[in-house]
Amino acid sequence: MVSVELVKRYPGFTLDVRWEAEDAVVGLFGPSGAGKTLTLQCLAGLITPDAGRIVVDDRVFLDTAAGVALPPQARRVGYVFQGYALFPHLSVAENVAFGLRDRPRAERARRGAEVLERLGLAGLERRRPRELSGGQRQRVALGRALAIDPALLLLDEPLSALDAPLRRALRDELRELLAAWGTAAVVVTHDFTEAYRLADRIVVYEAGRVIQSAPRAELLWRPASEAVARIMGLSNVLRGTVLKATPERIQLRWRGQTLEAVNSPTRSYLPPPERPIAFFVRPEYVRLIRKDRGAPDALHHMNLMRGRVVGEVDFGTVWSLRVRLDAPGPPAQGDFDLEVEVPHLVYEILEIDRDRHWEFSLHRGSIHVLPS
Amino acid sequence: MDLFPLWLSLRVALSATALTLAVGIPVALLLARVRFAGRGLLEAVVVLPLVLPPTVLGYYLLVVIGSRGPLGRALAAVGLELAFTWWAAVLAASIGSVALLIKSAQAGFETVDRQLEQAARTLGRSEWSVFWSVTLPLAWRAVLAGAVLAFCRALGEFGITLMVAGNIPGRTQTLPLAIYDRVQAAQMDEAHALALIAVGIVVVLVFGLSRVARLRY
Repeated sequence: MVSVELVKRYPGFTLDVRWEAEDAVVGLFGPSGAGKTLTLQCLAGLITPDAGRIVVDDRVFLDTAAGVALPPQARRVGYVFQGYALFPHLSVAENVAFGLRDRPRAERARRGAEVLERLGLAGLERRRPRELSGGQRQRVALGRALAIDPALLLLDEPLSALDAPLRRALRDELRELLAAWGTAAVVVTHDFTEAYRLADRIVVYEAGRVIQSAPRAELLWRPASEAVARIMGLSNVLRGTVLKATPERIQLRWRGQTLEAVNSPTRSYLPPPERPIAFFVRPEYVRLIRKDRGAPDALHHMNLMRGRVVGEVDFGTVWSLRVRLDAPGPPAQGDFDLEVEVPHLVYEILEIDRDRHWEFSLHRGSIHVLPS
Repeated sequence: MDLFPLWLSLRVALSATALTLAVGIPVALLLARVRFAGRGLLEAVVVLPLVLPPTVLGYYLLVVIGSRGPLGRALAAVGLELAFTWWAAVLAASIGSVALLIKSAQAGFETVDRQLEQAARTLGRSEWSVFWSVTLPLAWRAVLAGAVLAFCRALGEFGITLMVAGNIPGRTQTLPLAIYDRVQAAQMDEAHALALIAVGIVVVLVFGLSRVARLRY
């Protein structure tokens, strides 16, 4: 269990966050400069906040109201720094055993060897950090942090120092490793995919604040606000006007169309009519209506729109089409209204490269309303 | 030829270097790592001995440690005397050379990534242990380079030493003072020999260590 409450003021930036997690791995996700790393430094005791309280399991690391502030040495947290901060003058074995100095010599050697073995670093004991590959360095940094049996493992952008192909492989390896060691961890990342793969719970940071904290699946399917959706990098984050809201449905107007969306009963979000409303549409959920299959019936083709493909990008397995609706007024996203993803096969069968004018349909379940 | 000045100078320079290390390393660490009010002032004070006329420094030092000065009187009360002893020469040499050590060590400490020190703290190491196992091992070349420069400067200290330790043959006459003395007495051969010895020591130290330990000054 990790419980964090922090206020730290700098000229031009204030960190003011509060979150709690029972989960094994917590991801702090958000753009650079949002205060994620600062939170890690406060957790480790490297920076003392102006006010706050940090509790890990049953140990109070910090309680400014009670005058408690454990020094980093007394917290027993394993910190994996961005860029790893391995001691360049020490060997792999010495790096890993660095935090074990208070233990008897035999115990130190045993534990060091055990960690090296478990992380697949056996045989590299005498190498210096500069003689290792990026992936090996990451494992040495992990091993050095894990060797002390940390109450909490802190990882700051653990994959950012690696090349792209290696990143993906090591992301999954890291996930397995965290699960295998069973150590509670907090991972900082600005990459949503990384946060989603590594963390059970994701805490979204923006400009020194937490704008959502949720289990990862909930965050993926139900971002709490437009800001969260934009930080997650979702496509088609749009703004319309409410026509009518019930606990089951929300009717809204957008670009001259009347759209029907599913409301979330658990959230019971009931904005009044004429209120601006944000929503997003996953580009892979937009349906292209085939012209060879007869007239679309209203039930299966709700939220029907007509538009022209004005741009397209080949992503290898899918085409991303930029569609401009046949509606007066400026398009919603620069020179287009909707991003639509179609698989290569569909693109070829329908000959979209020649036929640019189409009808599109949005199932109401694929329009995700974003409460403000 | 009387080699007493050579042995005295070596003894003084070695003692001064030791004193300089003991005082200079904490100051260098403070300047490199801690932001505090008066940091700029301390940095200025550190370089003062390099830019003030040595006789001026010597004068003020004499005011402090002389028989009427505050330190001089305190020492006299317990039966000790500092002015015009070889210890005064050590003090003079230290003051003249400490800035070289501090500046070099400070630059060295500043190149050590703070994150490494933070990593050591999260791994349970005390500040003392962080210094000895991370900071110093990564900055020792700069510290040693500073110590070599300080030693050479201490070996050649003239003005401050003359003011506070005098030029007493067989007691406080160091190598530079002896060279001056021989020139005054027109014993040019002896002056030349002593000067060559001084050059030899410095050249061997500075260039030898720069080769062996890859030092940069």
